[in-house]
Amino acid sequence: MDFQIDPADEALRVEVREFLRTHLPADLAQRGASGFHPLRADQRRWQRILFERGWGAPNWPTEFGGTGWSHLRQFIFDEECALAGAPVTDHGGLRMFGPVIYTYASSELKARLLPAILRGELFWGQGFSEPNAGSDLAALRTRAERDGDHYIVNGQKIWTTGAHTCDVIGCLVKTNPEAKQRGISFLCIDPQSPGISIRPIIDIGEGYSLNEVFFDNVRVPVDNLLGEENMGWTYAKAVLENERATSAEVPLNKRKLAQLREIVQRECSNGERVIDLPGFAQRVAQLEVDLRALEWLTLRALTEKSGGTSLPYGSLLKVRGSELLQRIGEMTVEALGQYGLYVYAEPEENTITAWPMGPDYAPGVTADFMYRRAATIYGGANEVQRTIIARSFLEL
Amino acid sequence: MNFNLTEEQHMLSDSVRRFLENECGLATGRDNKSSDQWAKIAELGWLAIPLPESVGGLGGGAVETTLIMEEFGRVLAVEPFCAIGVVAAQLILAADSRQAEVLLPQLIAGNFRPIVAHHEHEARGVIEHVSLQANAHGDKWLLSGRKSLVVGANAANRFIVSARTDGDLRDRAGITLFSIACNAPGLQQNNIRLIDNRWAAELIFDNVEVSAMNVLGEVGEGYRAIDHAYAHGLLAQCAEAVGVMEQALWITRDYIKTRKQFGVALNTFQALQHRMAEMLIELELARSVVYRSLAFIDAPTDERNAALSLAKIKIGQAVRFVCGQAIQLHGGIGVTEEYSIGHYFKRAMTIENELGSSHFHLAQLADLELRKSVAWVRE
Repeated sequence: MDFQIDPADEALRVEVREFLRTHLPADLAQRGASGFHPLRADQRRWQRILFERGWGAPNWPTEFGGTGWSHLRQFIFDEECALAGAPVTDHGGLRMFGPVIYTYASSELKARLLPAILRGELFWGQGFSEPNAGSDLAALRTRAERDGDHYIVNGQKIWTTGAHTCDVIGCLVKTNPEAKQRGISFLCIDPQSPGISIRPIIDIGEGYSLNEVFFDNVRVPVDNLLGEENMGWTYAKAVLENERATSAEVPLNKRKLAQLREIVQRECSNGERVIDLPGFAQRVAQLEVDLRALEWLTLRALTEKSGGTSLPYGSLLKVRGSELLQRIGEMTVEALGQYGLYVYAEPEENTITAWPMGPDYAPGVTADFMYRRAATIYGGANEVQRTIIARSFLEL
Repeated sequence: MNFNLTEEQHMLSDSVRRFLENECGLATGRDNKSSDQWAKIAELGWLAIPLPESVGGLGGGAVETTLIMEEFGRVLAVEPFCAIGVVAAQLILAADSRQAEVLLPQLIAGNFRPIVAHHEHEARGVIEHVSLQANAHGDKWLLSGRKSLVVGANAANRFIVSARTDGDLRDRAGITLFSIACNAPGLQQNNIRLIDNRWAAELIFDNVEVSAMNVLGEVGEGYRAIDHAYAHGLLAQCAEAVGVMEQALWITRDYIKTRKQFGVALNTFQALQHRMAEMLIELELARSVVYRSLAFIDAPTDERNAALSLAKIKIGQAVRFVCGQAIQLHGGIGVTEEYSIGHYFKRAMTIENELGSSHFHLAQLADLELRKSVAWVRE
């Protein structure tokens, strides 16, 4: 055993931090730290900046333009970016679909899609969930029928983040209605295609990132199939396996805890800082305890070779990481006092000039707290994660 | 002991529920307008019910208030019944019996809509926190400072403002109550919508002139009335929380019986059954502490406030759990603005963070424990 982080990895942290200090535009960082949903234009700008530095895809192998970093180095990079308030990068393109493309897709698709993702020109919507296929994803019903050189797609997706601003929607569709998991394929669909309609879903933080997407006889070229027909479920599982070590969202939790610390020091009551009021420091300390435990479980997951007897890290981390996010949010809202109860409308631009009232760190806190009620639901509800832990590892 | 409602109390609950369900519905409207339902609410006599006959009331009390508030919680009504009918009415009643005889009949009739502007940002639950200054200027007073989170200010046609006429920031003595027109020169009102769709205001006073005639009660003696009004307001809010939780629970129960995943209805999963059982336990414990507070509402101030702190703690914890899990059991739909259940959670969060959070009240009780232990050592 060795509990020290390699000096070379630490050196990367310093390098990333310095890069962020000099290259992350202040307006992007302000939005990124606010808790409001990211703007696509900001994400595009930031992706371009990262691409130019050679860091466009921290989790991809070098042969496809990635950094070739270890899981630990990717984690260090993510942490520094989150703490600096950098816009979140395209989770769909970089983490979900990119790896499927470079692992399974034709060389033609690789050449067409991968460089565009790296340059920030191809952002992805994630067309997985359906109204009756949420936790039970394999129950999806969106149908793709072959018609010559095209698939004809009919059905509906829901909770599609950024469908209204993305360049392509990666959909899980049924190509064989007889089989359950084995009849599912991965299809790239142009959101501008005739027959697609997109309906916004406003979340309880009054923010707009989610959509319903309806497909009515949408024609999709057969070339847009990722990998082989009916292999979509296998690919999706492989992708989700890559996610297992990051599902606690430790970088995000760290940023949120840092924000809470700032607020309990800046908010005052009768000349005393909130952190000095009875009990507050203990509660922050408790959150620190839970975050550090989660961080070190994440470090174990990042460095352990995956194997048959491995802990289901992803599920362990997802359950506690999402709960922690909600607990930090709850205390942050409370620390804001009345400002935690005000509705600050989500700005459509990233430069925020003047808020109607309250300090500049208040807007976005409650909106994000409300939106994160979904953290224990999205990405596989915590109830499903607990069942995975019980069945697959404890063999119950 | 007897926890059963009388025939009249049952009828009150039923009629309030019917009216709110039919006329007020789920409050998802975001308009900043005073309620057009207010005249009807007055006509139905709800404002009269909890007030004594000496001021034109019907001689009910805190029990009737809690019954009404529970129904407000159930439908997430935004009408400022608590702000006007409970907090302002109780404040006037406790502050100035002579003025109460003049003002409360108008309040009961619905054409006097006073809103108490007391809360200040740095108070954080401490009732005696008043920094807004009132300086004597001949036979007038000049008020300067800020009030915030003045809930229901958009419906007000009069503000009752607490101001410091003497003493330090958190002294109980030296707080005076003033009745002020909403359009008084020098008074700026900034409205903002709260996450539960009620409206509140920040009020900025810049040398607002008030005549001595508009002092409510005695100069410097306002604290006792504020403490009394806030006690009734806190109890009303706890009762509202019970209504919020109860409705959220049953909406969720119905939903998981119809929502199918993995080929079966969600209610067949034991993990979810147990969660709902926990929600019911929390709801009934919460209801019980509301009843307990009713037993203490007329007790000596220290005992009453300890009982109310206890209730607010339990209510705050319960309402977060019940409404949070109500969203969780709904899944994605629960996090959407157009579905009802998220709004129950948002009302829950405003209740938890108004009038002192459960954290604040736990600190109050902890302080009481320390004082008890000091007394014990002395013995």
